[in-house]
Parts: sequence; structure tokens; C-alpha cells
Amino acid sequence: MIENSQPKPKTIQPVAPQTKHVSLVTRPRKILRGVLAGLAIITIYSLATLNNGNLVFADAFKSLGVNLNAMFLHPGVGQDTFGQLLRALVTSVSLAMLTTLLGAVIAFFIAVGAARNLAPSWLATTIKAVMAFIRAIPTILWVLIYSVVMGLGASAAVVGLTFHSVAYLVKAYSESIEETSQDTIEALKASGVGFWPIVFQAILPSIVPALLSWTFIRFEINFANAVAVGAAAGADDIGYFLFMAGSFYFNFHEVGLIVYLLLAVAIVLELVSMKLRGHYLKHN
Amino acid sequence: MLKVIQLDKTYGSNKHSLKNVNFTAQPGEVTAIIGPSGAGKTTILRSINQLIRDDSGQILLDGQDIRQANKAGLRKIRHHIGMIFQNYNLISPLTALENVLHGRLGAKSTVAGMLGLYSNEEKTEALELLDEVGLKEYAYQRCDQLSGGQQQRVGIARALMQHPKMILCDEPIASLDPKSTKIVMDILRRLAKDKQLIILINLHQVDIAMEYADHVVGINSGAIVFEGATKTVDDDVLQKIYRQTDDAKTVVSANEN
Repeated sequence: MIENSQPKPKTIQPVAPQTKHVSLVTRPRKILRGVLAGLAIITIYSLATLNNGNLVFADAFKSLGVNLNAMFLHPGVGQDTFGQLLRALVTSVSLAMLTTLLGAVIAFFIAVGAARNLAPSWLATTIKAVMAFIRAIPTILWVLIYSVVMGLGASAAVVGLTFHSVAYLVKAYSESIEETSQDTIEALKASGVGFWPIVFQAILPSIVPALLSWTFIRFEINFANAVAVGAAAGADDIGYFLFMAGSFYFNFHEVGLIVYLLLAVAIVLELVSMKLRGHYLKHN
Repeated sequence: MLKVIQLDKTYGSNKHSLKNVNFTAQPGEVTAIIGPSGAGKTTILRSINQLIRDDSGQILLDGQDIRQANKAGLRKIRHHIGMIFQNYNLISPLTALENVLHGRLGAKSTVAGMLGLYSNEEKTEALELLDEVGLKEYAYQRCDQLSGGQQQRVGIARALMQHPKMILCDEPIASLDPKSTKIVMDILRRLAKDKQLIILINLHQVDIAMEYADHVVGINSGAIVFEGATKTVDDDVLQKIYRQTDDAKTVVSANEN
């Protein structure tokens, strides 16, 4: 039945060992090598044809050193007083806090509709899709879009930041809600408890640690965003001062000081969030 | 009195389906539903408070048909039916006392329920109920720090907080050790007598059913094959309930030993 077209010898004869080329290179690795080689060629080509504007590299690096030195080793106030800078910093933190809190409250209610174990699946899918769309567009763009409607300034910054925070937190919150056990929800349903009391009395207490840690992560993101947005939307916060000092007055001492202030706030936020999370995971 | 009449439920597969289920359960009695796994014990229990919507039939609790109730009516009826579960189904980060108070949520307005506003009388009652199930000193413990037996007793106290006419027990002792089993079953039997409650229990341990139940309902493949007083259950009846399944042999022989 199984007849090969070529006749085979019936006895096994010693076959001369074939010296075939053995390659260790697999297909993905070949592709990777090709990509790297291509990138190397592009790099070499662009470096060779670089228009350096008759820059003297030694001088350029020296000035870079001078600027970095002025920024980070000799930070100081420029046109603005230290008090003004601190007030601007507080504005940034407030902007982050306000948008995170607003976002968190709105997001919680929307997340209830986006959680598959609570809402009908068509609603959950629709909300999740809309939120994914909003998240896909960066915060700064939302701020600019809202500034078309509301004019540049703090209101556009607040609405734009809140908008993106809501989309981000809805995803985080709804996934936390989906992790709660269906059985505990059913236990209360079986005793005639309505929908919202179940959400607030059964689901919320079970997911407090998760909600808290997501909200705090978003607070940190919002602080970073607030700085960037302040510069773009002119919200009169620390980002605006940073922009003015760096690109308008070229006062690098002030740029350095502002960067240090931002760093200090970031470290404080991180410490607070660690403490808060640790506390809730232990005691709740 | 609970009266189930001609209850039918069909699923895609034959497992868990119900065929023409009829039985009654009296206040002051422990009624046990026994039968092999997959026979439909849980389906019956969940049909009674309509967690599972059945296809046809009548479920009369004190003459009122639960199946005919509208949404608001069903919530009201459910509030008077307590339920306890194999896995207790408590909110584990909350204290025992808070979980017991959840038994009152069904009687509250939406806003009061959302905010968890309980009167002082309700809190006092919750503490008394915890005392009744022997857990007074655990009132302020988080539920995930309690043992299985203790959690089930919190579950019973939560059910009692509803001022129920009936408590449905879905395999209440399946995850418990013998000592906790005895404590829980003793409480359930005492409640039936003292408060004249209908206690309806799904069990897969025949020996426990024999020891604690007043009334036994035997189910096989979704159909009732026996209903009667516990003392009338003999080996022939058990053979009938557990026939043609693998558990039958193990359960019956375990019972004989």
C-alpha cells in the first residue's frame, strides 16, 4: 500500500555521514538580526550626513555642563519669588487632587455600569469601549480640546484632567468590582436587598484597598499631568512657571529649583501612598 | 407552611433539571432534601427564593405564590426567607456584627441601605443574635479571621436578623469538621423548635439527615422519589433515592457502618 516511487534497499546499509550545514539561527532571530542591521545602517547614514550647523562639539558640551551646573547645583529663584513658586506648586497639587477626587467619584458610578457581574453585558461592553477610546487620547490633548470650548486656563485643565482620569479609573474600578465574589452578592440578593445597597454595603467594603491604591496611582499621574497641562493651558501653576523660566527667561537656576520642588512633592506622594496602602491592607 | 407544587425546570442537559417536584415543609420542623450529586437539590432550594427562575409550578409560602410576585413583591418575600450557604458568603473584610446587620438591609429604603444606617435597636438585636449562636465575644472580629464553623454561625445570625419565616440551608455543613457540624445542626434544630421556623436543608450526608431532620425529601434525577417522616426512612428507601449512581453505594454503605 505504501509504495515509494524510489525503491529502497531492504537491508539497512551504513550511510555515508552527510556533512550538512547545521544552523543555530532560527527564523525570529534572522528577522531580529535583519532589523538591527537595518537600524545600524540608518544610524550610520544619518550621522554621516548630519548637519551640525558648524557646531564645535567641545564647546557645546562645555556649555551643557555649565547649564546643568546652573540648573542643579545652583538652583535659585529668578524673576519670581520663592513664595510665588510655592503657591504655584500648591496650585498644581490642588489641581491633581481636585481632578482625582472628581474623577474617582464619577468613575465609581460609571464603573458599576461597566462591571460585568453587575450590569447587563451590552451596557458594560459599551461603557468599556467608550472609556478605552477616551483613554487612547492623551490627557494633554483633552485639555487642549476643552480649551477650545472653555478658553485656555484652569477650567479647561480641570475638565480635561478629570475626563481622562474618569476613563482610567473606570477601567481600574470595574475590574476590581468584577473580582468580588458573585456568591456574596447573591447572598444579599437572596435576602431581598436592592442593587445600590448591595453595591455600597457588600462590594465597596470588599474592594476598598484596591480602589485606594488605584486612586493614588492616578493622583501621582495627575500631578505629573497637571505640571505639563499647566504649561500648555496656562493654568498658572508650577508647570507654567517652569515653561516661562525655561523657554522665556532662560533662567536655568529657577528651572533647577522647580525640578527639585517637583521631586520633593513626588517623593512625599510616594511615601504617603505607601503608608496608606499598608495601613488599609493591614487593618481593613 | 411551604408547599411546592408541580415545579418543573429544564436545562440544556438533564443534570440539575427538575421534573414535577411536589413536597411540603412545616414550621417547627427540620426538612432535609437528600439525593445524589447533580440530582437537583440546589436547584430546588434556589427556585424557592427565585434565585433560579423555574419553568412552571407553584411555590406557596403561607398560601402566597412566590412565583407570581412582581419585582418589589419578590424582594419583600425574599426578606422573610433567610439563606445560608456552603461557603458562608459573608463580606469578609467586615466584622461579624456588620455582617449580621446586613440581614436588615432588605427592610430598608435604598438610601438608608446604601449608607448602612442602623437603629440602636437593630444593633442591640444583632448583638443578641450573635450571643444566641455563641459568638458574642467575636462581634468586632473581621469575618475572615473566624473559623468555618464560626462563619456559618454568623451566617445563621444574619438570616435570623431578617425575622424569617423560613431558612434555606444550601449544604450548610459540607465544608465543616464534625464538631462544627454538630454545633451548626444543633442550632438549626433548636431554631426550628423555638421560633417555629421552616428549616429546609440540602444535605449529602445521610447520617446527619437521619439524626437531625424531622421530615425527609428524597430526590433522584430531578424527581421526588420519597417524602415522609425521618423514622420511616429505611434501607429500601435509601436504595431508591440513591439508585443507579456511584455515590449511592458509598453513601449507603457509609451509613450502614
